[in-house]
Order: sequence, then structure tokens, then C-alpha cells
Amino acid sequence: MELSGSIAAEPRPSTALLMVGGISKRFGGVRALRDVNLDVRAGEVHALLGENGAGKSTLIKILSGVHAADSGTIEIAGKPATFDSPARSREAGIAVVYQDLSLVESLSVADNLLLDREPRTRFGFVRKRELMARAGTFLSELGIPLDTKATVGSLPFAYRQMTEIAKALMGEVRLLILDEPTSSLTSDEVRILFDAIGKATRRGVGVIYVTHQLNEVFEISQRVMVLRDGANAGTFVTAETDMKRLVNAIIGTDRLAPAALRAEAAAARSFDPSPVLSLSGVSKDRLSAVDLSVMKGEIHGLAGLIGSGRTEVLETIFGLRPVDSGACQIDGRPWLPRSPADAIAQGVALVPEDRHVQGLVLDHSIERNITLPRIPHFSRWGFMQQRAAARRADAAVAKLSVKAQGASSLVRTLSGGNQQKVVFGKWNDPRPRVLLLDEPTVGVDVGAREEIYGVIRNAARDGTGVLVVSSDLVELIELCDRISVIVDGRVARTLVRGEIDDAEELHHLLQIYQASEQGVLQEPHA
Amino acid sequence: MTELTAPNLVASSTRSDRRRKLLQNLLRGERPYMLYIAFVVLLVVFSLSSPWFLSVDNFLNIGRQTTLVSIIAVGMTFVIIARQIDLSVASTLALSGMAAALAMSQINNSWIVGAAAGLGTGALVGLLNGILTTQLSIPSFLVTLGSLSMARGLAMMVTNTKPVIITNETYFAIFGEGSFLGIPVPIAWTLVAMIVGILLLHYNVFGRRIYAVGGNPTAALYSGINTKWVTTAAFVLTGALAGLAALVLSARSHAARPDVVQGMELDVIAAVILGGCSLFGGRGYILGTLFGSLIIGTLNNGLVLLGVSSPLQLVIKGAIIVAAVAFTKR
Repeated sequence: MELSGSIAAEPRPSTALLMVGGISKRFGGVRALRDVNLDVRAGEVHALLGENGAGKSTLIKILSGVHAADSGTIEIAGKPATFDSPARSREAGIAVVYQDLSLVESLSVADNLLLDREPRTRFGFVRKRELMARAGTFLSELGIPLDTKATVGSLPFAYRQMTEIAKALMGEVRLLILDEPTSSLTSDEVRILFDAIGKATRRGVGVIYVTHQLNEVFEISQRVMVLRDGANAGTFVTAETDMKRLVNAIIGTDRLAPAALRAEAAAARSFDPSPVLSLSGVSKDRLSAVDLSVMKGEIHGLAGLIGSGRTEVLETIFGLRPVDSGACQIDGRPWLPRSPADAIAQGVALVPEDRHVQGLVLDHSIERNITLPRIPHFSRWGFMQQRAAARRADAAVAKLSVKAQGASSLVRTLSGGNQQKVVFGKWNDPRPRVLLLDEPTVGVDVGAREEIYGVIRNAARDGTGVLVVSSDLVELIELCDRISVIVDGRVARTLVRGEIDDAEELHHLLQIYQASEQGVLQEPHA
Repeated sequence: MTELTAPNLVASSTRSDRRRKLLQNLLRGERPYMLYIAFVVLLVVFSLSSPWFLSVDNFLNIGRQTTLVSIIAVGMTFVIIARQIDLSVASTLALSGMAAALAMSQINNSWIVGAAAGLGTGALVGLLNGILTTQLSIPSFLVTLGSLSMARGLAMMVTNTKPVIITNETYFAIFGEGSFLGIPVPIAWTLVAMIVGILLLHYNVFGRRIYAVGGNPTAALYSGINTKWVTTAAFVLTGALAGLAALVLSARSHAARPDVVQGMELDVIAAVILGGCSLFGGRGYILGTLFGSLIIGTLNNGLVLLGVSSPLQLVIKGAIIVAAVAFTKR
């Protein structure tokens, strides 16, 4: 066990809000948690890191009373506690803000804050005015800029999370657990969220912050605990550690591919300078005259802020949004995408942004999902060639090293990274001419991310033109041969590898273009 | 990072594996055995309590009585797996029966014309249901609630609510009263519908598409599936099967009547859900539907034999359906 550089979790019962001692949990034959210790102090943000399947979710579920631990102790403010239900955990002052929020979207912020605790008359009628006043007072005390009358469903995601946090604070919450709260936020929204977290900790609330984003750990947490294979892989004081040590703890030193090797692999790739896909003057809704070309074997990135039209470019090429004007060529032939079926027939493939909603049928097997876009290939006189389909699915599972019992496992049972590999598997065979990727590694752990990069590079090496949208600028710089900057529905500039070499520069560039687009003279801040 | 392999994790698709899967498809589906246990329990209870229950004649009786529900339930299975519902099936049956009988009386008294008119009318109602649901994005619950009323109204309008007598003997023999290989034709037609349903759902590419559309419509669209067409096809199939059921019913009663089988859509839906379909789409299988329909038929039959009063029959039937679904729920 790698524990160098870690500090022992000293027992400090006077300040510890939560003390978890030697928690273990088994599911059947799997040891999900082994002798895990954790302590969280009042007013502290304690980050929790680990790959998918490392035990983070299990630990959270034990703290929130969903699962019972097999052994070990939990103490809240020095008093032993046992949670046999989520309600008991909530009574003890623990609140979890889940990725999928537990708000009623059709109700207002105030209604949600006081849900089932509404001020009411003797006959059960709601005192609407008092409800609004109480919610308003609470929010302004907390300094949270939320409109109490706004319908939650109409709010941007970050504000919904803020509502969720406010709701948790409204009860007597002492420990707040945030599970990957920023996975679908823009950088501005992340600011807002961090602000809300700061307001909570200033009131003495302890926060457990689960994330995949290492930079967030450094930004917000005081300490960080890493779980690996269900056990402590180190607890660090954030200010005394660095990115490299954390990554080592997360994936285990032996598994980290040397940076030099990766750079070499990238440099060794070259692409054929003939465009496999080109768009000229393509316009539709928010796209205005997009010019873009992707070469055979090229990995081409699209950078831009959320709302810039990045995703729309991919969806247009995939035939989900019929083109209004402009021209498009595939392999040198003129072609206008009309429908996804049409695009697939031309060899265009899309790995969409939201794999649960757009990419996968979660309750179906890996095999069913992988063969989904290829159904016409397996049809002989209308009958499904089930054996051929199974063979192809097995091949994709092996090639992409999807970790599962077999191709008949339900996709729902897989980890995020493996689910994403299944989405890639849908387009494994035959090799697509053009592979469109929208945020290919969102919600994927570090190890699986490297594997997915490998899959993308392999596809390009085999001659596929790859067009990838990502908010992760480091990812774009690591992967792409060229990067096009999208601003307000058009390509503002295309950069070639070498023109820019770190994410910070690219970030500046995006800010500058965005500012000039809005006619605002604004000094971009890193 | 070039070759990614994990040989020990790959499922092998051996022959016995395939066979086991086939058996699963046919017998078990997603809900382990509870359905069959429930059916057997029913059989045992009724056999012990009524001396007339356990006989070939009575089972043929049950088969005949469940024909209409079973035939339509095959189509409803597709519709429900595709995350839709069709409330109009009983009215579609009535309208199709009227169309068949009227067409025969107008054109040469030909059974072929009658059959084509009945099936065609059913398919047409299904097509309209499908198009309204998919093109105008109206929930199928509302679309078919409307067509439930409209089809019934039309059936009554065409003859001013009078029945239409059928006189074609061949028609009676083919759809109602004859037998094929010793099997009464209504049961034979049920088997035909079942087999077509099993082939379409479990072996045809159409079935794959239906499951995908019901399991996750967006993912299906993003995989290049024409989700609107697939959904519409499920409605057309259901309408056509309601037409087939109309032929069977009118051939048995030598007439088509506009007021038949009111409320039967509920039995059909109950049969499909009892049979293991998820109302949320993406799950279900044909043989389960057959058993669901047999359970309802057996209940009807057994309760009559026991001399239970008909209001009490309704209460018991409803309670057993809810209990069975609660039991088989995962």
C-alpha cells in the first residue's frame, strides 16, 4: 500500500464532526470497502478521490444510510451513530446532494426549499406569503442569489444545485456530501457552486466533496482522501501535495503511462492530407456559415464555451438537424446529411455527450447496444442473424477491453468508463469514415480515460477522421492534431499542433474570442 | 496502448449457450417463473374446487373464450414494449367487424373481400393511431382514447346501430366454426398470431428495433433507427390483429354487431402486463403475454364454474390481477 506522503488521520474528537473507523462492506464476493477510516472537521471541505469502482459510492451510501456497513464505527460529533435508513442519517445531520437532483422541477425555489415543511393554517392550507418570506430571508442570510419565485425547472443547472444545497442547509445539516457536483457545469457555474459551498462551510458545515477533477480538489478542499480498490490509498493535506502524487495514489504508480511515451505516440502519428469530411458555409439555427475540414486519420478538436454551437456542429453532421444552407462533402463527394440513418450509411458515427440518455439502452445487454446501429447489417430476409451479431459484440468487447462478465451483461451494471467503451463499441466495426465525439471522457475515471484515448488514437491511425468536442482543454491539446475554436456558431480560428501547447493559453484564447464577439473589452483572467 | 485485449472476460457463444438463451426467451423472459407458478396455482385451485374444470372440453372452452384477448394482446405486446399504449382495440374490433360484414354483403358475398375489409380497416385505424402519435407527438394514451370513441361511433353510425347478418359458410368455417388439424380455428388463429409475434419480436430485426425504441427512444434515434416508423408499425400490427379478432368473432356469431366487446382493451392490457411487459417500455415477451391472457381466461371460466356471482367475479378478477403484478414485480 502506497502511503508515503500521507499523513495519518489523527484522532481529534474535539474538532472532528464525523469519524469513520474501520468500515468494511462486502457485496457477495466483492469487497467494496476494506477497513476505511475518514474524519471530517467542522467547516472543512474534504475531497474524496478514486476511480470508478474504488468504493466512493459505497462509502457515501453507508454514510447516508442506504447501505449498512458490515463492520466499523461511525461517530457524529463524538457520539456513536448507526444508520439503518436514510431518514436516520438525515436526522443525524447528514445530507447528500446527488448528481441527479432531488428537486421538484415544476415548483418554485421557495416551494422546494420548504417542501413538506410549508407554513400552513389549521386546515392545512399553505400560507403562501409566509412561505415566500421565509425562503427569501433564509437565502439572503446565506447570501445566495436565488429568485424564490423562479421555477426550478427553468433554472440553469448550477442554480438548481444551489437550491439543492440551500435546501439541505435549511434543515439542521452538519455534514454535506456532494457527489460529482460539477460534472455538467460550465466554468462560470462552477464558480457559483464553489461560492455556495464556501457559504456552507463558513457556517461550520463539513463537506465531503466527491470528484474526478483534480484541479477542483486543489481549488476547494483542505484535505483529500484517495480510495483505491475499496481501501485508503492515502489522506493528504491539499496544500502539501501535488497533482502527480494524487494521480499516483488514485491509479497506483505502476499503471501510469510515462508522459514522454504518450508524447511520442502522438508525435508518431501522421495523417493523410485529404479531407474525409468538409463543411463550407453550413448554417442552421445557431450555426452561421461553419467552414471546417477533417482529414483522413486526423484528430480534430472543437473548442468553445458551452452554448457556442460545438455540439450543434456534430449533431448537424450526424443528420439530427437538417442543414438550412451550405455544402458538405464526404470523401470528396457532395452530401447533405438528412437523418442519423443517412449519416450512418455514409460512415459517420457519433458518440454523444450524454451516454445515458443518447448513447445507451441501459436495461439492455452490451450485445444489444453494440449491434443497435448495425441492425441492417445483421438482417437476412428480415431475420436477425443473432450469432453474427453476438460474434461482433464479443469482438468489440475484447478489443475495447470492456470489463464485464460478458456481452450479455446489462449495460446498467457497468461503471461509467466501461459504459462509454460500449458506446464506442457501437461504432467498432465496420470502421467509420468520420467519428464524432462529444465530451468523450465526461464522468470517466483516470484509468479508463487513458484507454479511451488509446481507442481514439487507434481509430485515427486506421484512417478514420475524428472530430472531438471537449470542455477539457488539456484533453484537446493532448489528443488533437488541429483545434478549431468555435465562437457563436462559427469557426473563429483553426490552430495546428505546436501553435499552442498548454491549456492555459487555449483558455486565454477562448476568453479573448468570446469577449471580442460580445464587443466587450475584458481582460481575460486565468 | 495499441492493443487492448482481455481474453478471459469475453463471453463465448457456444451452441449450448445459444440454446439456453432461446429457452430463456421463450419461457422465462425477464420475470422468473412467477407467472407460470401463478397459472399452475390457479389450475390446481379450480381443479380441486370444481369437478367440471379439469376436462379437455373445458380447456378448449377456455381457449376459445380467450381467443380475442390473446390475438390482440400479441399486438399490444409490441405497442407496450415500444413505450406506447393502445386503448382503441375493442372499438377497432367492432368497426373492423362491421366493415367485413358490410363489404361481404355489398360485394359478391365473398369471404376474401370480407377478410380483406376487416383486416384492412383494423390496420388503417392502427396507422392513424401511429401517425397521430408520432408525427404530432400526442401521447398515445390520448390519441387512442380519442380513436376508442371515434371507431365505436363510426361502427354504430354505418348501420344506425343495427347488426349486419353474415351468410357466407366458407367465412364461418375459416374463421369461426371449422377446425384445422383437429384444432378449432379460433385457437388455430391464436396460434398463428402467437407464432408470427414470436418470429417478429424475437427473431426479426423489427423486434430489435421495437425493444430499442421502448428501452431508450433517444439512443435508438442516435443509432440511426427511424423511431417514428417503428412505433407506427407496432400500432398497425395491433390494429390488423384487432381486425383478425373481429373476423373470428363475427364468424362465430354469424353477424357483426357494433356494440360488441366494450371494455375489452382493459383485459388485453392486463394480459400483457401480467405476462411480464414493462409499462415503461423495453421489456416483455410474447409467450408471457399468452400466459397472461390464459390466466385471465382461466379466472373467468373457473369463477363461473364455481358459481360465483358476476359482480363478485369482477372484484376477484381485479384483485388477482393487481396481486399477480405486485408479486411478479422485481
